[in-house]
Amino acid sequence: MLNTFLLTIDRFSMAVGHAFAWCILILTLGTSYEVFMRYVLNEPTSWAFDMSYILYGALFIMSGAYALSRNAHVRGDIFYRLMPPRVQGSLELVLYFLFFYPGVTALIIAGYGYATDSFGYKEVSVNSPVGVPIWQLKALIPAAGVMLFIQGIAQVIRCILCIRDGQWPAQLHDVEELETALLQAKRDEADTDAKEGAR
Amino acid sequence: MSNPELAILMLGLFVFIILLGFPIAFTLMAMGVAFGFYAYYTPGQDFFDNRVYYLLSQNTFSIMNNDVLTAVPLFLFMGYMIERSNILDRLFYSIEVALRKVPGSMAVATLVTCALFATATGIVGAVVTLMGLLALPAMLRAGYDHKLASGVICAGGTLGILIPPSIMLIVYAATSAVSVVKLYAAALLPGFLLAGLYVIYVVVLTTLNPKLAPKLPEAKVKVPLYKVALLLLQAFFPLAILILSVLGAILFGLATPSEAAAIGALGAMVLAVAYRAFSWQRLKEAVFLTARTSAMVCWLFVGSWTFSSVFSYLGGEGLIKEFVMSLDLNTITFLLLSQLIIFILGWPLEWSEIIIIFIPIFLPLLSHFGVDPLFFGVLVALNLQTSFLTPPMAMSAYYLKGIAPKFLHLATIFKGCLPFLSMVFVAMAAIYIFPQLVYWLPEVFYGN
Repeated sequence: MLNTFLLTIDRFSMAVGHAFAWCILILTLGTSYEVFMRYVLNEPTSWAFDMSYILYGALFIMSGAYALSRNAHVRGDIFYRLMPPRVQGSLELVLYFLFFYPGVTALIIAGYGYATDSFGYKEVSVNSPVGVPIWQLKALIPAAGVMLFIQGIAQVIRCILCIRDGQWPAQLHDVEELETALLQAKRDEADTDAKEGAR
Repeated sequence: MSNPELAILMLGLFVFIILLGFPIAFTLMAMGVAFGFYAYYTPGQDFFDNRVYYLLSQNTFSIMNNDVLTAVPLFLFMGYMIERSNILDRLFYSIEVALRKVPGSMAVATLVTCALFATATGIVGAVVTLMGLLALPAMLRAGYDHKLASGVICAGGTLGILIPPSIMLIVYAATSAVSVVKLYAAALLPGFLLAGLYVIYVVVLTTLNPKLAPKLPEAKVKVPLYKVALLLLQAFFPLAILILSVLGAILFGLATPSEAAAIGALGAMVLAVAYRAFSWQRLKEAVFLTARTSAMVCWLFVGSWTFSSVFSYLGGEGLIKEFVMSLDLNTITFLLLSQLIIFILGWPLEWSEIIIIFIPIFLPLLSHFGVDPLFFGVLVALNLQTSFLTPPMAMSAYYLKGIAPKFLHLATIFKGCLPFLSMVFVAMAAIYIFPQLVYWLPEVFYGN
């Protein structure tokens, strides 16, 4: 039951993260188009600069919860990784309330005020005469805060399950860093070898 | 409100929480908010009116529209695409054949392949594991010394975070307000210097002691010249040209780093198509990994900027400055001390945390000691090579151990890394003695 709830939140964060991840492809193609227009056709676009930071900003801010669900945010794990899972879980459970929720809650409050102000006068970018609206980018700050808040609930459940079961619950799998995938493949191979040997 | 005692408490508590292993970005944000709330509090104020909220949203947004950091996801995407373009085995084979007459040819070829591939991808772990699967078995079969074989892979793979266009230098530029373009120009020669030192070390070592690197069998050495050229044309030149055009566009001012990175990412996709490695699945992997890693780096910035504005508002920065002044250091002792601290921080921490969180502590001190932030950046970039190679926490060595055959012990890999580690210190000393190595290219390109 808790596990289903946890995975539902993970899937939600992943779906949003995956959706915003595609910004990178638009960013690549859009910026290349600008370079092409400038050098080949000698007609620089008026929107490329604003587009580039809007896509970049949206990409990273909305992937924050996804990265959290996949344990991609860096931690100094020099002692952490030596602890048994139950200790890790109990410690993290406390730390989520002390060092995660205050910041994330403040981000929602702060971002909400910041975005409504900006929306109030339909703020546009000053970088070009086109006047690209940027209030929608500011509105992503409280949205990202809410995403993190929700993902935080999943992380807290993870800690509770870990304390109950003595091991971390399984994660969703979408894609791994190449080195992680290769090292895992090597370990699996070694496990199979060991089993064959035992037989 | 100045309250240095509180600032010290803030820093101390932060270091303690880092050691507990909690995600650092959020720790920084929460501590910045909590201490900031107290620091900016005026009696009778409404809970929601505290200035810390404005500070937090302002800092977050200034990361979101930071035109330097825009290049980070683009370079990451380029790297993840190249990683998935099936180029590495062709690249290694072509370089190996081209260098077949050099002493210790496979080790030198491994170094060159690692340096080139790592420069293109900028992802250390991937290079080391891929080369651990490809070059390591080849070298072991050829009877190469185990220490030498593992050392070249670890050291070569780590070069990617140093040689421009590297993501680490962009992150340093965003932290220190030094121009990325100048920093790239400044790091180029020191990067080549270090790579050159590695190659010279291997050539000299294997010439003096040929047993470490047995010559390849005659049949393998006899490859006609046109075939060598063809192999190089298929793998070495496409990647080299891609890197050079990205870097050249930046250095000659034809494109901003983000624009050059976008072109590089597009070029990487073209390469993947050309090598018949492009698929929907691989594109998706690269896109999702880019999002995750960008989120990691940029959220660290969000937390760190909030934390450090509150820290200096409380007077922490001034206190550190006063303390360092009281030590009565001169330029050289200051540089030695700061680099020693960064070296030690490199054991438990990764480069991203060191540059985004700890470098800002040193930056305000530089002007007092007459150190150019540009020069300091190159020193730090060299120094952080060590964080991947120094036991007991050498990430590169662990990646290689994870992928290597069982008989290759971690201790052997560590021993293999040590000579290369000392080359890093030689390179650091060299740029201190000959600062022109750093300043010459920026001056040629951009005047003083």
